[in-house]
Amino acid sequence: MGAEQSIADATAVILAGGKSSRMGRPKALLLFDNEPLIVHIARALTRLFAETVVVAAPGQELPPLQATLVRDEVPHQGPVGGIYYGLRAAKRNFCFVTSCDTAFLNLSLISYLLSQISDCDVVVPYWQERFQPLHAVYRKSVLPLVKEQLDRGELRPIFLYEKVRTRKIDEDEIRHFDPQGLSFLNMNTPEDYESALKRWQEVRQRRETETAPAPLSVPVSISVSVELFGVARLLAKTSAVSLSLPRGATLSNVLSALAEKLPVLVGRVISPDKSSLFSGYACNINGLDFVRNGSAQVHPGDKIFILSADAGG
Amino acid sequence: MYGFHGRLLHIDLNSAKSSWHELEESRLRAFLGGIGLGTSLLYDYAPPGVDPFSPANPLIFTSAPLVGTGLTTTAKFAVVTKSPLTGFIADSLSSSFFALELKRVGLDALVITGRASSMVYIFIHNHNVEIREAEQLRGRSPSEAESLIRSELDSPAGRVAAIGKAGENRVLFATISNEGRHAGRGGVGAVMGSKNLKAIALCGDQESRTADPKGVEAIAESLRQRSLGSLTDKYRNIGTVANLAVFNRLGSLPTRNFQQPTFDHAEAVSGETLTENNFSRRHGCASCTIRCERLFKSLTGEEQRLEYETLFALGPLCGIKDPEVVLQAARLCDLYGLDTISTGGTLAWAMECSERGLLPGAQELGLRFGQPDALLAAIPAIARREGIGAVLAGGSRRAALETGGETLYWAMHVKGLELPGYEPRSLKTMALGLAVSPRGACHNRSGAYEFDFSGEVDRLRADSGRGALVAASEDFAAVLDSLIVCKFLRKCFTDFYSESAELLSKVTGWSCSSTDLRRIGERIHTLKKLFNVREGWQPEDDWLPERLLAEALPTGVAQGVSLTSAELQGMIQSYYQARGWDEKGFIPEKKLWELGLPIMQNENCKM
Repeated sequence: MGAEQSIADATAVILAGGKSSRMGRPKALLLFDNEPLIVHIARALTRLFAETVVVAAPGQELPPLQATLVRDEVPHQGPVGGIYYGLRAAKRNFCFVTSCDTAFLNLSLISYLLSQISDCDVVVPYWQERFQPLHAVYRKSVLPLVKEQLDRGELRPIFLYEKVRTRKIDEDEIRHFDPQGLSFLNMNTPEDYESALKRWQEVRQRRETETAPAPLSVPVSISVSVELFGVARLLAKTSAVSLSLPRGATLSNVLSALAEKLPVLVGRVISPDKSSLFSGYACNINGLDFVRNGSAQVHPGDKIFILSADAGG
Repeated sequence: MYGFHGRLLHIDLNSAKSSWHELEESRLRAFLGGIGLGTSLLYDYAPPGVDPFSPANPLIFTSAPLVGTGLTTTAKFAVVTKSPLTGFIADSLSSSFFALELKRVGLDALVITGRASSMVYIFIHNHNVEIREAEQLRGRSPSEAESLIRSELDSPAGRVAAIGKAGENRVLFATISNEGRHAGRGGVGAVMGSKNLKAIALCGDQESRTADPKGVEAIAESLRQRSLGSLTDKYRNIGTVANLAVFNRLGSLPTRNFQQPTFDHAEAVSGETLTENNFSRRHGCASCTIRCERLFKSLTGEEQRLEYETLFALGPLCGIKDPEVVLQAARLCDLYGLDTISTGGTLAWAMECSERGLLPGAQELGLRFGQPDALLAAIPAIARREGIGAVLAGGSRRAALETGGETLYWAMHVKGLELPGYEPRSLKTMALGLAVSPRGACHNRSGAYEFDFSGEVDRLRADSGRGALVAASEDFAAVLDSLIVCKFLRKCFTDFYSESAELLSKVTGWSCSSTDLRRIGERIHTLKKLFNVREGWQPEDDWLPERLLAEALPTGVAQGVSLTSAELQGMIQSYYQARGWDEKGFIPEKKLWELGLPIMQNENCKM
């Protein structure tokens, strides 16, 4: 399985419910690049993932996010609790789990991690002699084991890695994408925050002067347009919409995103699982290919027609 | 007999006499009803080589085993005759209450021959047959004739099918109309007009029985349920007019006489736009749960039925971008009893002639693409055979033959029947279906376009797999048209042949398998071809208009796509091979034996 396939079947999970005790104020709301840090991170991840889940503490206030919001049922159980609630809410088979203070996410590295999941249950980077459980990919099927671990009060993720097929990503591999390991830089104190802001300025300046793309400018999202015909058009009261999707997105991803944007189509044109069409409808890409397989990939600029499967007249 | 009455009524208008005949069960088992039975009777009743307007050319109306069973979409009847437009078989379907009444008068087939000395209508009241004067109805529209005759009948339950002025004047693409619906293609209305027969009125109370009423009802209920699901969403919620915008986007909407596969103003005349601006109400045939018909209201407040084929032919094909004009043109065609596809196709041919400085009559009328006034003036002229209308009343092939020169190049017909709204160059399976269809360019006797719109084949490329697909599609249509089941129900079957065989067994009491039904489909289709061969079919008749083989598509997603003569020839060979015919398209004696068809002792059949 390549990165594109696993990305298409992956959810981003952001753990936002930490105590922020050393920071003295909620980390998720720290202003970063003129926006709350969690917005910054969620936005970066939407360029790769069609679905994002944010796990927050009960009652925790968050800005509006393009994500599914779930709450810790038992607060402050540490990362294992967050991983559990995030995996449980995710609709896809794989989850990239991170925290709300990793400001320097590197989408190329994340894609690489996802590409390594096919034969394992966990893909976790090992940086400066430490596992990075909040920058790792988990297969959703580990959920029961995480639950058992949580019940037993084993709050360190490393216990999981011993029980399942775990792929450790070594420093050499990481440096190929992220030479300084900025991906694992998190902010626990006001000093960390100040230094991160400073570093962000440097990254931005370098991005403006260098030809090489900065980590967040890797073109990983694509834009497609969906054209509606017949009953779909009458229901939606529009003939076309454009959608932004992660690179490697499939036709099923298109339909899910379309269902989110035009819920009126669900149950009439798009089936309730939001990833396929009802049998009376068909899909054509660019006017050339009638596509029935939901796992067919779409490409930047594709025009996707939703029309009746019956051309009789 | 279950499912049938086992009776044929023959009316001879020369002598004004009628006679009832027993219909052999072997014939019904071999051909079912509808188009199959009609084809079988045409073969036997039409003298070989008969002139379509000769009194001897039989005009045949048939019912079918499923009619009156309560099964959704089956209130249909067939009209079969030798077509004046093509010189080959004309087999048309129409539907609704007239179809139910045809069965209720106690017959499976009505064969009309001869010619009345003045305009008449036939009234069949169970076993009584009357031939009544109808001179007072001359010139009336089909719907006027229908309501005037119904008011004369003793029973308000009577139903009427009639021709309009176009049929009276033998316009070669005139229709027979009932309840606003038409047996539309191939000029069956002109044959009726040639017999001085304005209308047929029916009133009956003869029930037909089924062998297993409970079994039939169980299947009928299941199909009723299925007919209301997603598979018929298009037909139930927007109608066939939905095709226009899709076909345009797929580069498959014939425009300006097939000069383009896209129309710049498609949105203005799309089904969606019409629905938003002009929708008046939904309507359905008798016994139908799908109810696909849409009535649209024009600015004048008049309601008009509109289907995709009418919308395409009187809209983009003629360059018309104003839906009001299309609605008015459709209304005129209904009033005069004209096939809208052939009307649009013939007018588009004339528009192109006129724009190229040919055909003075068309130039005088101002016929040009996109000119509404001339279009609306030309339709009555055709029905009345006035001025240039007299030339156009023969359809595009005859008009081009009369006009001569290069105009034949853009006469868009197969065997004389104008093309429907499916661009062959970007729908290659359909290209083959249109080329080989026995009734000429027809989208109903073969649904070959389904393969192109399914992703099963590359619709832009020709290959040798298409022959078998087209043959299968024709056989499937032949069975649907003979049971009769509306094509809009076809996708609601999980396994059409086995479910239909079970249904037919329960209706008739016969033991019928899916293999039997497939064989019946092949037999019916082959007999249509055999009739054509008897009437002079030659290999060059299975071909497409030269424009389609000479010009690549200039616009749309399929821009640059073409269809070469070699590609078409290759597909035709694959079709003959799939059919088990010889390489010229004649039917070997062995195949006729195999299907139990008559062995033709005729020199036309070059075997």
